[in-house]
Amino acid sequence: MSARLLQLAWRNLWRNPRRTFITMAAIAFGYVMLLFVACLMAGLRWQMIENGTCLVMSQIQVHAPGYYPSRSIQKTLGGRQGTDVSAMLAAIISDRRVYAAAPRVYGYGLLSAAHRSAGVELMGIVPDQEPKVTILNSQIAKGSYLTARMSKGVVIGHKLASTIGIDVGSEIVLLTQAADGSMGNDVYTVVGIYHSGLDAVDRGLVLMSLSSLQDLLHLAPARIHEVGIKLNDITAATTVAAALEDHLDKTLRVRAMAWPELAPELANYVQFNRGITFVLFFIFFLLAVIGVMNTMLMAVFERTRELGMLMALGMRPVQVIVLILTEAAGLAVASLVVGGALGVPLLWYLQVHGLELGGATGGVISLAGVVVGHLWYGRQDFPAYGQAALGLAATALVSALYPAWRAAHYRPTEAIRKV
Amino acid sequence: MTFMRWQKRSVAMLLGLALSSVAPMSHAADDQQARQTVERVAHLFSSKSSITTVKMQITNEDGQRDISMKIWSLGEKILVRITSPQDEAGAAILKEGSDIWYYLPKSNRTVKIPPSMAMNAWMGSDFTIDDLVKETFLTRDYSISTFFEGKRGGVAVDEYTLTPKPDAAVVWGKIILQIRKADAVPTWQGFYDEDGQLVRELIFSDYKSMSGRLIPTRLVMRPAGKAGAQTTIEYEDVAFDVPISEETFSLPNLK
Amino acid sequence: MKISWRNLWRNPRGTLLTALALGLGLALLLISLGLLDGGHEQTIAAGVRFGPGHVVIQAKGYQDSGSDELLLPAQVVSRTEAFLQTPELKQIVRGVSPRLLATGLLSSSANSAGVKITGVNPQDEPAVSLIPERIVEGTYLSNDKPSGVVIGAELAHKLEIKIGSRVVLMTQALRQPGNDTKNGAGEEMQSTLLRVSGIFRTGLQAVDANIIHLPLPAAQALLGVPDGQVTQVAILLQQEGASPMIARALLKQLAGEPVEVLTWRESIPMLAQILGLDHAFNYIMNGVILAMVGLGILNTILMRVLERRYEFGVCKALGLRPRQLAVMIIGESLALTAISLALGLALGLSVNHYFATSGLDLRWIFKAGLPPALVFDPILYSRLSSNRIIWSVSIVFAMATIISFYPALKAARTELPDALKAL
Repeated sequence: MSARLLQLAWRNLWRNPRRTFITMAAIAFGYVMLLFVACLMAGLRWQMIENGTCLVMSQIQVHAPGYYPSRSIQKTLGGRQGTDVSAMLAAIISDRRVYAAAPRVYGYGLLSAAHRSAGVELMGIVPDQEPKVTILNSQIAKGSYLTARMSKGVVIGHKLASTIGIDVGSEIVLLTQAADGSMGNDVYTVVGIYHSGLDAVDRGLVLMSLSSLQDLLHLAPARIHEVGIKLNDITAATTVAAALEDHLDKTLRVRAMAWPELAPELANYVQFNRGITFVLFFIFFLLAVIGVMNTMLMAVFERTRELGMLMALGMRPVQVIVLILTEAAGLAVASLVVGGALGVPLLWYLQVHGLELGGATGGVISLAGVVVGHLWYGRQDFPAYGQAALGLAATALVSALYPAWRAAHYRPTEAIRKV
Repeated sequence: MTFMRWQKRSVAMLLGLALSSVAPMSHAADDQQARQTVERVAHLFSSKSSITTVKMQITNEDGQRDISMKIWSLGEKILVRITSPQDEAGAAILKEGSDIWYYLPKSNRTVKIPPSMAMNAWMGSDFTIDDLVKETFLTRDYSISTFFEGKRGGVAVDEYTLTPKPDAAVVWGKIILQIRKADAVPTWQGFYDEDGQLVRELIFSDYKSMSGRLIPTRLVMRPAGKAGAQTTIEYEDVAFDVPISEETFSLPNLK
Repeated sequence: MKISWRNLWRNPRGTLLTALALGLGLALLLISLGLLDGGHEQTIAAGVRFGPGHVVIQAKGYQDSGSDELLLPAQVVSRTEAFLQTPELKQIVRGVSPRLLATGLLSSSANSAGVKITGVNPQDEPAVSLIPERIVEGTYLSNDKPSGVVIGAELAHKLEIKIGSRVVLMTQALRQPGNDTKNGAGEEMQSTLLRVSGIFRTGLQAVDANIIHLPLPAAQALLGVPDGQVTQVAILLQQEGASPMIARALLKQLAGEPVEVLTWRESIPMLAQILGLDHAFNYIMNGVILAMVGLGILNTILMRVLERRYEFGVCKALGLRPRQLAVMIIGESLALTAISLALGLALGLSVNHYFATSGLDLRWIFKAGLPPALVFDPILYSRLSSNRIIWSVSIVFAMATIISFYPALKAARTELPDALKAL
């Protein structure tokens, strides 16, 4: 492409500023809208996953092979001997993608008080570490969460409390089958009652200190069932899980499961949503394209006369097409840059401050039972941004091509006469 | 979820055997003789009241565990007190109708376990829980025919096939019961699924005369699928039809 | 007006292009609204069909306590069914299913497991629940198999059973309130023999491992429940939006009975929370679509007007007064908009109809292969209410008209020499 052609292209663009600006506006604005939508959609997906995993499950769980889903209490990490728990935690946290990790022990048993009892799931946690991974500690409705000092304290759901008829300060007995087959039992005090909004959890989950659950189950301190992990970027869960498995496998056979495996229905929902948003994105894209294509078509047709003159002056048809395409490309690139520049502060704002929804939700947005406000946060989706840019640029070129081709094939005299 | 698997197996088997494990059906087509024999075997451990001292050994992939206990029974009521090992000694279980009470010495508390909630907690639990809760639902549930008559391992036995009646609420496709000809004591019992596969077997041995009856004092229940897993019950002492006061089966007595 | 019309056709290509652009904008608006509304409705339906439906009637206090002993008298069921059969309501209601819920122990020769018993009417339940649609082996319950039971794939795996297998269901007879029994004596354990007639897979672990369906009469007999009592009546509607209205109507109809009538937002609050986000999403998307359509219109009209500045200049030179010019332009705009709307409606409604009947197949998004069971139907069905259509057309029309005022006025004031210079 000769430099002269480029020069000509550039000057042509600015010969009719208004037309150029309108076209640029179309492309730029279309791009900004696409960025906006992509960011919000990514944010929505992130939010859904977060909602589903932050309460108890956590984003990745590490178990001994065969532990899940039967959750047999004998299948502790490292087998019967257990493992160096702090070393394992350190190995996990050494991966930069991991935000926090917490050890857990599980059991099933009977909670009894004053001749009423209920089957419950027991979860042994470390009060200093668990709140970094899950948020049940923020759902305490009455009393307080566990602390390192309370070895015989338990925290129960509000529905369990009302079924049994107990309150903060009540004494309860936990009865379970210990790892050696004997009847593990002991007396505990209710120190806190939580309200999570999840019926199964509110009715059946009892939190207690990890070491007291180990005592109850006759498990040695080196024996735990699970490590719960929270990541910096939840969308990387599956990749990080695989990496952790490889990394830990050097010392210990483990199975690291990311949330899509732990909650396939959630993964299913996210996929479904992704499908819908993709379709919508496509529709938005078409809408953006209408503006762009229409503009480009008009712009080129309008210049039929001008182009005819150029050809009369000796420019070959091929050169005409190239000229127009060059203009279109230049225009597209400039518009995308402008759109991107306008978009950056918008995207930043969405990620950091979120979109205020007000009454749009028809209620407030809750995060697992706790109202977090009316904000919808965006998340960056760079692949989508790139795809949108390419798509719009391609559209601009294609929509310039047809009229350019037509124009190039007019005979110069005809073209000049077109008004 | 398994919960107190050993618990159920132990008490289950004892209750199941104490109350009747197999009973004949008065059916015209049944062999009269067979019915009578099986009936006698079924009631080998039945009595209005009894006091039994038992040692149970549970072997499975988690290891081996020995538990000794003493059991009082009077009609529908049963009291079990654990005498060993040390960390469980003093624990007691009281069953009245379908309510079950546990006394836990470590916590020094008595806990009630209503069967409905107990079933909730005991998901995936032992297949003999039906023995624990209901008396002799196997009664009237099977029709009997003679399968084999002759020698097994040098001993003359009768083998009977018990087939469930059409609507009987039992999971087995069939049960085969082997009874020694000489003294009409059971030697072996096999539980089969509907495809004819053996699911578990019960082996009787060590026959002794106790409280006027000849009974097998050693019972070994072995599931077919799990190698090395079994539960053994040894009767150290059995007394039938002894006077027991009702107060034995009261909550305060649990402690 | 006639001039306006003829002006349009002087440049057929330009006119058509513009009309197409505007029409496409409307069409896309209609299509996306239809898909969004349809998706929202579908998501709610998926959630409620695994549970109590859009509206549920239960004994008062059941929602809080979950106690198996709280039952509805049979006349509540019959009155509800009669009420919902009335002509006006029949069209809004998709299904009504009375159910008896309890817990029990299901045993096979290999194993046993605690289960949640759901006694249902085989002919009513498929209209409400998704379980009958997720049968992977065997068949769902039917009236000629009174001792059939349908269980989840995970449960079948755990109990090592297949179609036709023997299972025993054991449960405790429900204690009737007011029926004072001696301590423990009256609560007999009941067992019944069942044959597995079907195995389902929903993809939800909690459902596949715990829930069993058996015929209502069998469940009632087993649990010792007299006189046709049930735990709840689950109702599924054509549109979830009708839930509050139906709930209110039922509450009125059943006044005097000890019942609670709940919409799905009250009976499954967790679902409502999850969907709150979904609803907000739709709302925002609607806004974005409108903005983009609006901009497309703006862009189109501006271009069109710009292109014709020369023409307008000539008109003015020939003596056309500014006001007349403005009127002419507006007239053209209106006509153009009318054509566009017609085109847009035609295109939008026909595509929407296709999506409403055949649905949009989303299965291609599962690139890694289909998961073993899909909780959400991967085919998205569009739903477009007439309200939405009217709203969309009105908005697009309003936008197009308003937007065309600006250039009309501008053009009318164009100076002669400038216009001619536009060459």
